[in-house]
Amino acid sequence: MILNKQKVAALLDHLSGARDVFVPATVDGVAKFARYGEGVQPDFGMVNTTMPPKDLLFPQTQKMYHFDVDANGSYRIHEYDESREQVVFGIRPCDMRSIVCMDEVFLTKGFVDEFYANARDKLLTVCVGCAQAAETCFCDSMGVDPQMAPNADVMLQDCGDAYLVLAQTEKGEAEVAEWSAFTEEADAQPVTCDLTLKVDMEGVVDKLEGMYDAPIWDNLSIKCLNCGTCTYVCPTCHCFDISQDMRRKDGIRFRCWDSCMFSEYTMMAGGHNPRPEKLERVRNRFMHKLNFFERRYGMSLCVGCGRCVEKCPVALDITRLIDEIGAYDA
Amino acid sequence: MPSIEISHGCAKGERPLVPQVCRVVEITEETPDVKSFRLQTLDGKKPFDCEPGQLGMFGLLQYGECMFVVSAQSDEWVQFTVKKVGLVTEHLHDLAVGDEVSLRGPYGNWWPTEGCKGKDMLFIAGGIGLPPVRSFLLYCLEHREDYGRIDLVYSASKYDDLVFKEQLFDVWPNDPDMHVHVSLYHEDPQWDGEVAYTAPFLDSLELGPEDGNRVAVICGGPSLSRTCRESLLNAGYSEELILTTLEMRMKCGVGKCGRCNMGGHFICLDGPIFSLAEIATMHSDV
Ligand SMILES: Cc1cc2nc3c(=O)[nH]c(=O)nc-3n(C[C@H](O)[C@H](O)[C@H](O)COP(=O)(O)OP(=O)(O)OC[C@H]3O[C@@H](n4cnc5c(N)ncnc54)[C@H](O)[C@@H]3O)c2cc1C
Ligand code: SF4
Ligand code: SF4
Ligand code: FES
Repeated sequence: MILNKQKVAALLDHLSGARDVFVPATVDGVAKFARYGEGVQPDFGMVNTTMPPKDLLFPQTQKMYHFDVDANGSYRIHEYDESREQVVFGIRPCDMRSIVCMDEVFLTKGFVDEFYANARDKLLTVCVGCAQAAETCFCDSMGVDPQMAPNADVMLQDCGDAYLVLAQTEKGEAEVAEWSAFTEEADAQPVTCDLTLKVDMEGVVDKLEGMYDAPIWDNLSIKCLNCGTCTYVCPTCHCFDISQDMRRKDGIRFRCWDSCMFSEYTMMAGGHNPRPEKLERVRNRFMHKLNFFERRYGMSLCVGCGRCVEKCPVALDITRLIDEIGAYDA
Repeated sequence: MPSIEISHGCAKGERPLVPQVCRVVEITEETPDVKSFRLQTLDGKKPFDCEPGQLGMFGLLQYGECMFVVSAQSDEWVQFTVKKVGLVTEHLHDLAVGDEVSLRGPYGNWWPTEGCKGKDMLFIAGGIGLPPVRSFLLYCLEHREDYGRIDLVYSASKYDDLVFKEQLFDVWPNDPDMHVHVSLYHEDPQWDGEVAYTAPFLDSLELGPEDGNRVAVICGGPSLSRTCRESLLNAGYSEELILTTLEMRMKCGVGKCGRCNMGGHFICLDGPIFSLAEIATMHSDV
């Protein structure tokens, strides 16, 4: 089954009738996943959005519950579920892999994060394969196929003028069954996507085990500004803070993205901070991406999207770090 | 050396981030800046069942929530012992009996009560490190026949900083084969006992490893932990038989928010209880 690229706009109009559909688009100068509708021009030619799609599942700021405190100091908690049916149309294979990582974090190991789980159940993922890569993309080195995301409900492989439509889950099959007005029964050949940026991950995870005190962390961290950009644009960074806001008797408890690059992140009462310097924080971020997560969940926490490579103001580049680890001789 | 099996990542629960509303049913002033709070649900029940050493996020909806170890429990309540150190703990200290609070949990792993059966127990704590140790100690005393000789070595800076004084001086010394050793770091007009830092005090007691038959449990600030670990290792204890709790800043308590990691371990979920042998394999920033 194929979907002609010229039919995509009509399909989006159809989909957005009942649900919120998010598409890659540039809004106010920022490339992100924006709600399809007035003034949002989907752009499936752009390789990667600046902002990752993670906020569809894990909003930058998310209300968890409301509460009120009455005159006697009595508490009432009102649970809050903001989740709704959403479609992400045009998510890339690297970002689909980031959802595999997020699912591990939020849905496994004894506790299911209710807010993430609600949003995840209601998200339909339509992944668009990449016909070309950006200079900063290195997903294939991280085990991602730029034309295939096995966990997408629907995979649209780029074949030039059309997409080859693959329904990969029950949800995806049910969805695609409704698309007959837009699709055709035909075959097409996905184009190959060549990536120029390569890294060699062979042996890196194990090698890092013995490199915690290696001098590379010093050299790397010295130029970091601790601005946190890398963590905000990263599709797999999932750290959050929990806080509250109180207006008169009504309050909300919310969570919001946080960053391990900030020193307050680990600051404890009394001023003790286990990661006081840039060195410890930079090391923690990269070790988490390339080793800790692998040990805990059996996969890398870097999907090779290249966003941090592109956006870091001082060009602190994870691909060069991986090269250095490979070349490191203890 | 025989090692003791400690469970990690064993806590489980539904809908972990929304607290329940509880009520303070009893407050004990332990020291000028430490209070213990007993909590029950609004309908007078125990808020949750937990194992000794597990944690709870106890707080006030308007101000925030903090992680504390359940320092004691009964069939009707759980208790937290809170030192006033900052924003939220300051507000907790203003609570009165009957006030409503928020609570979620239980989180974290628990003391290896099974694995320690039949052993002599050496508990070592400093200052506000006693609540976590007490959760284990109380369990041993409740199941007295399962454990051998019990020693508690406890120190604090001043007399006023000793928590649980009644149990320390009046209750525990009368328990069978339970030996309480208390020292202060500094001379104090209210004190005629030992004046010594914990590690040298511990050395002076000559409580050896008994051929792997004694388990040591340490809980205190960074310098107490370091010096007492050294003392025990010098005395011949194996790293497998020295247990301790780790502390990192926490927000979610369930291994999601990321901040409490030590290497690939989340202290809130995999810990806080580890043996020194386990800690030695972790990438630690501390
Ligand atoms: C596993 C564990 C068990 C603990 N058990 C006890 C106990 O039994 N009794 C006791 O008095 N204290 C205990 N603490 C320490 C207690 O959590 C902190 O003292 C408390 O969070 C300080 O909060 P605050 O708002 O008053 O301080 P602030 O300095 O104002 O802190 C602001 C916020 O930072 C975080 N934070 C600051 N310090 C710590 C810290 N040391 N650990 C974790 N989060 C922190 C909290 O989210 C807090 O709300 C424990 C900590 C951990 C990690
Ligand atoms: S984007 Fe670059 S400078 Fe900013 S915190 Fe990340 S590594 Fe440091
Ligand atoms: S670490 Fe950088 S390249 Fe890797 S997934 Fe995150 S933003 Fe993308
Ligand atoms: S407190 Fe959130 S991961 Fe441990």
